[in-house]
Amino acid sequence: MNLFATEAPRHRANGLGFSLCLCASVAIFAQEILVLPEFQRPTIHGEIVKPDQGGRRREILSPAMPQNGYLSMFLVVKLRQPGPYRLDVAMNPEDRLQADLFRVWFHKLESNGEYYPDALIPIQNTYLGAIPDPENRIEGQTAAVFWLDLWAPRRAQQEDEERVRVEVTLNAGGQVDTYPMEIRVLPISVPDQDALDADHNSYGADWLGQGPELFGRLHAYHRIFYEHRGIFHQLGYGHAGRVAPEFAPQLEGWGRRRRIASWDLYDRHYGPLLDGSAFGGARRGPQPIRYAYLPLNPEWPASFVHWGQPGYEAEFVSVVSEMERHFREKGWTRTRLEMFFNHKKRYKGFPWDGDEVRFARDNQYFRDYRALLDKAMPRDSPVQFVFRSDSSWSMERQFWDLRGVVNLWVLGGSILSFYPQAPALLKDRGDTVWFYGSAAGVTEPAWASVHYPLRAWMWGVDGYVLWLVTGWGADPWFRFNGGRETLVYPGERFGIDGPLPSVRLKIERNALQDLAMLKALETAMGRQKLRSEMARLTNNRKPDDWWTIPRPALADLPPEEWTNPDIDSAARPMRRVTEGLSSDWWPQIRRWIYEQTMEEADR
Amino acid sequence: MRKLALAVWMAGAASGAVVEELERLALVATAVVDGDDCEKIMTPRALEKMFRTDPRDRWAGHDNFDVHDAPYIAVKKLLRRIATIVSFPVDCNLWMGFRERPDLIQILIRQPNEMSQFWRWGDLYQPMPPEMKEVLAGGKPKTVTGRGDYVSVMTPVFNSLGDPVALVEVVARNFK
Repeated sequence: MNLFATEAPRHRANGLGFSLCLCASVAIFAQEILVLPEFQRPTIHGEIVKPDQGGRRREILSPAMPQNGYLSMFLVVKLRQPGPYRLDVAMNPEDRLQADLFRVWFHKLESNGEYYPDALIPIQNTYLGAIPDPENRIEGQTAAVFWLDLWAPRRAQQEDEERVRVEVTLNAGGQVDTYPMEIRVLPISVPDQDALDADHNSYGADWLGQGPELFGRLHAYHRIFYEHRGIFHQLGYGHAGRVAPEFAPQLEGWGRRRRIASWDLYDRHYGPLLDGSAFGGARRGPQPIRYAYLPLNPEWPASFVHWGQPGYEAEFVSVVSEMERHFREKGWTRTRLEMFFNHKKRYKGFPWDGDEVRFARDNQYFRDYRALLDKAMPRDSPVQFVFRSDSSWSMERQFWDLRGVVNLWVLGGSILSFYPQAPALLKDRGDTVWFYGSAAGVTEPAWASVHYPLRAWMWGVDGYVLWLVTGWGADPWFRFNGGRETLVYPGERFGIDGPLPSVRLKIERNALQDLAMLKALETAMGRQKLRSEMARLTNNRKPDDWWTIPRPALADLPPEEWTNPDIDSAARPMRRVTEGLSSDWWPQIRRWIYEQTMEEADR
Repeated sequence: MRKLALAVWMAGAASGAVVEELERLALVATAVVDGDDCEKIMTPRALEKMFRTDPRDRWAGHDNFDVHDAPYIAVKKLLRRIATIVSFPVDCNLWMGFRERPDLIQILIRQPNEMSQFWRWGDLYQPMPPEMKEVLAGGKPKTVTGRGDYVSVMTPVFNSLGDPVALVEVVARNFK
């Protein structure tokens, strides 16, 4: 069965009035609508950005999509001459799909002045615009670009494919052009349950401003990641232990009289996240967040001035016990609450590394805090406190030194690739394993946003962390830093008091949908077979190629002697697994997953 | 009530009471902080790697930064206790120079309010500010304002040979 048979190569899409067969001189002046797949990002002229070239150009005519999921595409508007236009998206029947339309912002890179599409500004399905876009201020712009998300709610009794006509209409200069599509809603669904935890990290909330709107903004940032099948983390304390007031209950007293004085700010911040009410109305349905940092650090709740003395233990145990009681009484038991130490010696707050331990003696602090946490927690508590370690240099040593101490491992991706046995080792003893890295930047191919989700699944870990997703820089609009530290943008410029999504966040979400379907196939097909198939579809490789095999010589040297270039060099073989992929790569994988899911459904 | 208390305190700050209090803490810091202990904090390995530049590995100094726990904790706790003498938020940060690089200085111990007029976020070390140079050369405290709304009193720390080997930045916010 070929689910994509009606997604014809572009040059065969005649009869619709916008074939590539048009000669160049005509194309320059043509008014037209183009529809491009998500992995072929358009330029300011409606061509495909350089990193996404190399795949086949396809006209999207009759794409397939599962229920309980999204189908996404770019709409490109080109006019004969600069001027205003009107764009409409209409559907028949009107109620089978829900359409979210976004205007695409072109970011001017600070490094070289090139433009890349990324931020998505929500608009109505009827939009009045102009080329060049007066807000985006691009000299010579000849194409406006939109992102269309189509959501297909799950229908209980759908046994056959359903068809929905979607028409995109462009009205400009007295001429009307229509791009008709027939969306095929398949009788298969994206599972609610994700295959992975896709975590998105950030630090503090200073960048969100203050005032009564703060909590709404905090929740809006959680919500945008929640709606994109992800998790949002905000660390609420600094490297020397300063805790922002909205991230921790207020304390009073010291020594044996240390106690929580007020939960007010903390509960306003976390209450709606821990009971799920912050996500009311989300298409996924409201659920509590899966993970959250606790404010615990060497200065909170116990003061470091008492470190190593009875007062430190008294303060720590008393306050953490109160927290456990509070969470239990509130019924906040579905979120894994993390004791996590982010500080590093280099930031001069404390004499040991909590993050990325390099020197073995620092592990003793982890053992000390595990003992304190165990003293504070009742054995039968339904509240889930976990001890998280973000590890890199010395992770292999820590796997053994901190056995039974740490139970949430967040591991540097390159170094973890040296240890293919690690996920099973850790998971077999009940630990959770993620790896971490940076988001793909806008100058990387669009498929790069899919790499980490697939790597996590290939490796058999529980998830991954993008270490910073709100670092959009001083001017993301006209002097952009490239986006490796952001997946969202501030909406204030467009009158939105909250975040804007990005093309890369959407691509990641769509891949997470696919992986949720892939995971659902594991029961019938077996995980090993699926891994082999994914490896085959990725440069015709084998699953082991996703690791650094054989073990590099570096791994047998003491980690104190490693350098960053050593690590990069040692992990190079693993990185070759995705070298040379094109924009066709993930659509092939998606097609394979849909086909297998359909076959399983038919059995 | 807390807002009222803050307003009353701020009024006091405007009268220079904050500066006086910080100068009092600075005297205590110079008297009780042991420069010999401060000199034991950095590991020789970290000191040696701190200035080694590797164009392929710009974080080498950071990744090898390391300290001896015992003197670090002792000095940090002592500085924390000094800050508790007054009733408003104060940090007592430890700064140390380098014998071989007198043009440079590093913050070595920061405190939980994360206040400083001088620390450049993330830098392992930085050029010696003239105010610090003056304090180390003259062996006398100096009050510094002008960066944001902070006021700092820089005060020397001596070792047992009588050499000024470090200084403490006693810093608070000076609301006016």
